[in-house]
Amino acid sequence: MAPRWSRIAPQLALTPALAVTAVAFVGSIGWTVYLSFTRSRRLPDYEIDWSEWGRQYDRLFRDAGWEISLRNLVVLGLGSALAIVFGFILAAMIDKEKRGESFFRTVFLYPLAVSLIVTGAAWRWIFNPTLGAQSFLRGLGWQGGVDGGARGGQVAFTCLAQPDTAMYAIILASVWQSAGFYMALMLAGLKGINSEIWSAARLDGVPLWRVYVEIIIPMMKFTFITCAILLSLGVIKAYDVVVAMTNGGPGQSTWVPAYFTINALSAKSNLGYASTAAVMMLAITFVVFIPLVALTAWQQRKREAAR
Amino acid sequence: MSQISVSERAAGAGEVPVSRAPVFARLRKRITPQSIAVLVFLGMCALFFCIPLYVVVVTSFKTMDQIREGAIFALPQVWSLEAWDHAWNRACSGIRCDGLKVGFWNSVAILFPSLILSIALSMVTGYALALWNVRWAGTFLFVLFICAFVPFQIIMYPLIVMTTTLKVYGTLWGVALIHAILAMPVLTLIFRNYYKDIPTEIMSAAIMDSGSFWRIFFEIIVPMSGNILIVILILQITSIWNDYLIGVTFGGLAGQPMTVNLANLITISTGTTNYAHNMAAALLTAIPPLVVYFLVGKLFVQGVTAGAIKG
Repeated sequence: MAPRWSRIAPQLALTPALAVTAVAFVGSIGWTVYLSFTRSRRLPDYEIDWSEWGRQYDRLFRDAGWEISLRNLVVLGLGSALAIVFGFILAAMIDKEKRGESFFRTVFLYPLAVSLIVTGAAWRWIFNPTLGAQSFLRGLGWQGGVDGGARGGQVAFTCLAQPDTAMYAIILASVWQSAGFYMALMLAGLKGINSEIWSAARLDGVPLWRVYVEIIIPMMKFTFITCAILLSLGVIKAYDVVVAMTNGGPGQSTWVPAYFTINALSAKSNLGYASTAAVMMLAITFVVFIPLVALTAWQQRKREAAR
Repeated sequence: MSQISVSERAAGAGEVPVSRAPVFARLRKRITPQSIAVLVFLGMCALFFCIPLYVVVVTSFKTMDQIREGAIFALPQVWSLEAWDHAWNRACSGIRCDGLKVGFWNSVAILFPSLILSIALSMVTGYALALWNVRWAGTFLFVLFICAFVPFQIIMYPLIVMTTTLKVYGTLWGVALIHAILAMPVLTLIFRNYYKDIPTEIMSAAIMDSGSFWRIFFEIIVPMSGNILIVILILQITSIWNDYLIGVTFGGLAGQPMTVNLANLITISTGTTNYAHNMAAALLTAIPPLVVYFLVGKLFVQGVTAGAIKG
């Protein structure tokens, strides 16, 4: 019935997207992977010396900067996980106490609308060692950590200037930025929970916290896993916030893989090495990504079973 | 009829209708000590979330003399607009000292072409994949799903080479083009998930009317995409405006968006840093997305969750 060209039109319409995917994504990934086996420095060098094809990887795994980056990645991931916890607590409270729901939601989510560079600028200023919150607290008569926050375990607002604590400031900024997002996801999850559970628990006289721990959280495991995966993917990509807050410093103490890779390409002009780091980033992404695929498939099957 | 139901369903996407037992509706009318405690806690959290915004706003109106006194939370003694003027007209980014207005107009010039390009491309692709029986649609969608998560660094160098070959590297068009390319997988998935719920009856009726691919697209699909278009527009406006990495990589010297100017201003400090200028610059950069957020906050939530989960 339909004319012949109606079969061709959709294929034709898909051509640009196919081309973009093939060239800008699939082809480019292959290109970078290939480069990671070469000795390219400033300019690409397309010869692979097969006797030592993995030399860039060998070098990378021995690089102290890469080790710091990986450690910071884990620290940032674990620290940012607070955003999920925080987001859940906020969502549970907002959901239980309906008053002011839209107000609180608006307040908790606004950081997400702002660029991470702005977030970094703001927190960098608050953490300013001489004029920031530190000086304000000193003005209140609080004496801790005037000359170095890490000393004596004092919590201090100078931590951005200390190599061993600068990462915590970045974590604080990222938690501040993303907690509202996880709150929104959790809120959607909480609203999907059958209201009869609450009345049943009330009738049985189960304390509220036990309802949450034993019923609600297990019921929301899908939401939690989704949040965790999204968070991990976000942490791997974390770059802007590091640039804005510390620019990698002091020293190399706040390097993350994304920063390492771009630094290798732009500051060190080492193309092969940057490609190697990028391939490792891709590998880390896939480690996180595979559970997501499994999860999506699982959810799909569940949805179809329910139908 | 079913057209309406589709758009209604999409309007509520991400938000499951609340159906709570009426018992709680009655309970909620009385203020219990417990709910006071919860509200106090939430209020304190809200305060914590507002601190950075407050600090940035008050600092931007202060004079440097007052800032040196070190009272970061104090209100300005004199409300001065000098910092705003300086940030907009004279702040330095690298070697150029023309203020953030350069970056602002660059960001605007990047925003529009990349919005049009990315939405047009992914809308057509999503429509073709969802409603026309393309044999390899499933495979292609899976590849797109993977592409949506690939870290930018792995395709960065090839894209630089390609944009250089196309002579758009270091220009606003280059930045806009890269934005459109990188957004394509995510947006296509969102559009496809939206369109796949369109009943097949509508499609077969439309094809029976000898509607061609493009006629169906423009006469049926586009008119019913209002909701999803607004959500995607907000998602794209905020993410393009707030982007730093693409701007700094592909903008060169001539095509730097506002975020890059701001980053240069706050990270590269020559001489004494004027924090009032920095904070005014940060606010200027933050205002456009914040305006969008406060105008259409609810849709913004839908946008970011759609962008994150993709259906």
